[in-house]
Amino acid sequence: MTDLRTRTEAAPAASVPSSTPSKRFGLSRWDAKYTPYLIIAPFFVVFGIFGLYPLVYTAWVSLHDWQLIDGNQGFVGFANYAELFGDTKFWNALFNTLSLFVLSTVPQLLAALGLAALLDRGLRGSAFWRAGVLLPNVISVAAVALVFAQFFGRDFGIVNYLLGLVGIDPIDWRAETWASHLAVSTMVMWRWTGYNALLYLAAMQSVPKDMYESATLDGASRWRLFWSITVPSIRPTILFTVVTSTIGGLQLFAEPALFDPGFAANNSTGGSDRQFQTLVLYMYEKGFRLFDAGYAATIAWMLFVVVLLVAVVNFSLTRRIAGKG
Amino acid sequence: MSRRLVGSVAATLVMVLAAGCGGSSEADGKVQLSLGLFSDFGYDKLIEEYQAAHPNIKIEQRKVKMEQHNTQLATQLAGGRGAADIVALEEGVVSQFRASKDKFVNLAEYGAKDLKSQWADWKWNQGTADGGDFVLGLGTDMGSLGLCYRRDLFEAAGLPTDRTEVAKLWPTWADYSKVADQFTAKTPNVKFVDTGRNVYKAILDQTEEGYFAKDDSYIADKNDKVKTAFDTAAALGTKQQTGALEPFSQDWNVALKQGSFATTTCPAWALALIKAGAGDAAAGKWDVTTAPGGGGNWGGSFLAIPKQGKHPKEAYELAKWLTAPEQQKRIFKETGNLPSQPKVYQDPEVQATVNEYFNKAPVGQIFASSAESLKPTYRGTKDSKVGPVFGTALTRVEQGKQSAADAWTQALKEAQDAVK
Repeated sequence: MTDLRTRTEAAPAASVPSSTPSKRFGLSRWDAKYTPYLIIAPFFVVFGIFGLYPLVYTAWVSLHDWQLIDGNQGFVGFANYAELFGDTKFWNALFNTLSLFVLSTVPQLLAALGLAALLDRGLRGSAFWRAGVLLPNVISVAAVALVFAQFFGRDFGIVNYLLGLVGIDPIDWRAETWASHLAVSTMVMWRWTGYNALLYLAAMQSVPKDMYESATLDGASRWRLFWSITVPSIRPTILFTVVTSTIGGLQLFAEPALFDPGFAANNSTGGSDRQFQTLVLYMYEKGFRLFDAGYAATIAWMLFVVVLLVAVVNFSLTRRIAGKG
Repeated sequence: MSRRLVGSVAATLVMVLAAGCGGSSEADGKVQLSLGLFSDFGYDKLIEEYQAAHPNIKIEQRKVKMEQHNTQLATQLAGGRGAADIVALEEGVVSQFRASKDKFVNLAEYGAKDLKSQWADWKWNQGTADGGDFVLGLGTDMGSLGLCYRRDLFEAAGLPTDRTEVAKLWPTWADYSKVADQFTAKTPNVKFVDTGRNVYKAILDQTEEGYFAKDDSYIADKNDKVKTAFDTAAALGTKQQTGALEPFSQDWNVALKQGSFATTTCPAWALALIKAGAGDAAAGKWDVTTAPGGGGNWGGSFLAIPKQGKHPKEAYELAKWLTAPEQQKRIFKETGNLPSQPKVYQDPEVQATVNEYFNKAPVGQIFASSAESLKPTYRGTKDSKVGPVFGTALTRVEQGKQSAADAWTQALKEAQDAVK
């Protein structure tokens, strides 16, 4: 330690003479100063074109009466926002979004942790299992949704058939709010659990093995090892998955859209009474079915704010929880 | 490794961008025309023929689902690029696009007005604006109404199976409801009709004014006909005589295959959907007869030409040829899409057409006579925004979530929001 410190203290002294020639060669100083910016510039250029510009343009559209085909019909200020806050359909969509998000993300990440812990234990044929858990994520979401929509069919669905075997009456999965949320969450969980499990697994494998060994020597149980060593050690990965699944979960679209048989027709409301209409589905309805682009842009911006808020809350919550122990 | 990856991503991006901007319109010196369609217009063979007769023209068909087609077209019109040279507009949305007619070529500039006499008057009028001065689209098929029923299920319920006898059972929709009661009393486990929504739509399509009066003012809240249609359909739903199915969905196909409902409203174009859903096993079990309440029109399309296309003249020539009487007749014989031109549907050959699958029903005659007596419904500019609201209201009744009265109240409120 001491050795290291003296070395760093010595460094500035050594660099004094070497800075004189760089004054003579302006190019290399320019190079040192600006090259890093040049190297990271492509990201910001791409972000500016595909991230920032749409964001600002959407904000601009949301301040106008804007029809999809006919374009700008005049500036209306914050009228769209005022209307949105009084719009029960918006609050319903927000509730559905949050409910679906909690129902799908919490069990999903817990299951992913468990799955990763299992995969970490050196099963026979580990490559097969690891590839296997990723499979649901590789399959096209449309195909997944179609199959699950059949599973949860009211009259001839396999889920109702199985429930019938244990004496439960068939459930109209699309009519009841809780049932539809359960069905859609199942779809999301099926798709993303394996993906998150692999991320956790990668992190788990970099946890030093000697920590486990010494804890085992001290008589710690497997359960204790997991919560006191594994989870705190992979904290950054957990934070990362929480943030990404927050963003993904709040922008849920394809699963609920394809779960609604009316989506193929002209009826994309997410259920007969908007039982599972998420914010993005509502935005789609306003923008692409009712052609009210101004209002759809307003929903988009509110969604952006909601994602930001939830991500911040989640981030700090998870940091606190995973930081314990 | 990662540098190579970045390189290949960049290369792909460049390729995609180049392909996107290139607009390969004049490849190998030919005029390329694209046709934006949904479902089956029956154009495959006709296009081959047209290309053979016009060696300088190359035609590409783009087929997507109808909802997707409408959404795509709206964004393409808004963006000013990407739309096909000829696009199909369905009758339910043509009024909506008519409101943005400045994005389309006025076909009158190419002499479309001379063709007016080919079509039934109402069909021609639906495709025009400004009192006929602006010709937005040329009519393709139409959806005159019939009623399809399962012979075996009717027999099991002690009802007649012969199509003229069945037609006598239901001169009006009230009679149709009575037949539903008889049917349910005898065979309670089979649904009488697939969905209340299609019954509602059919009844509404038999009136001249639905949600909007002919001056485009919103009248759904005052129009008794809308309320009557809703009540009739909702009553079937309350009594659980409907399958509560989403029309033409996957569930609907499964129910067709399982034979779990006995009747369905069928515009001419629906025959193909029923046949596809029910499959060969049900051949001869389905039959077609006249619908209660007289003639009506549901569906049918128009071919329009977006202004952004590069070859409006060539596109017009093609659209004109595809919608001409000779071609409409051939399409009917191949796909069953009913011609929208009296001269064609009165043609003896069309009238004599029978549909093997539907127990050799004389579909030409049934649909043509329905076309003769039909009173087309005026579609308001916002018709396609209001309609679905009443559809989902009926689904709520069928699902047992709401009483008919509550569903109606909520629908009126939502419709009011939609037209605002």
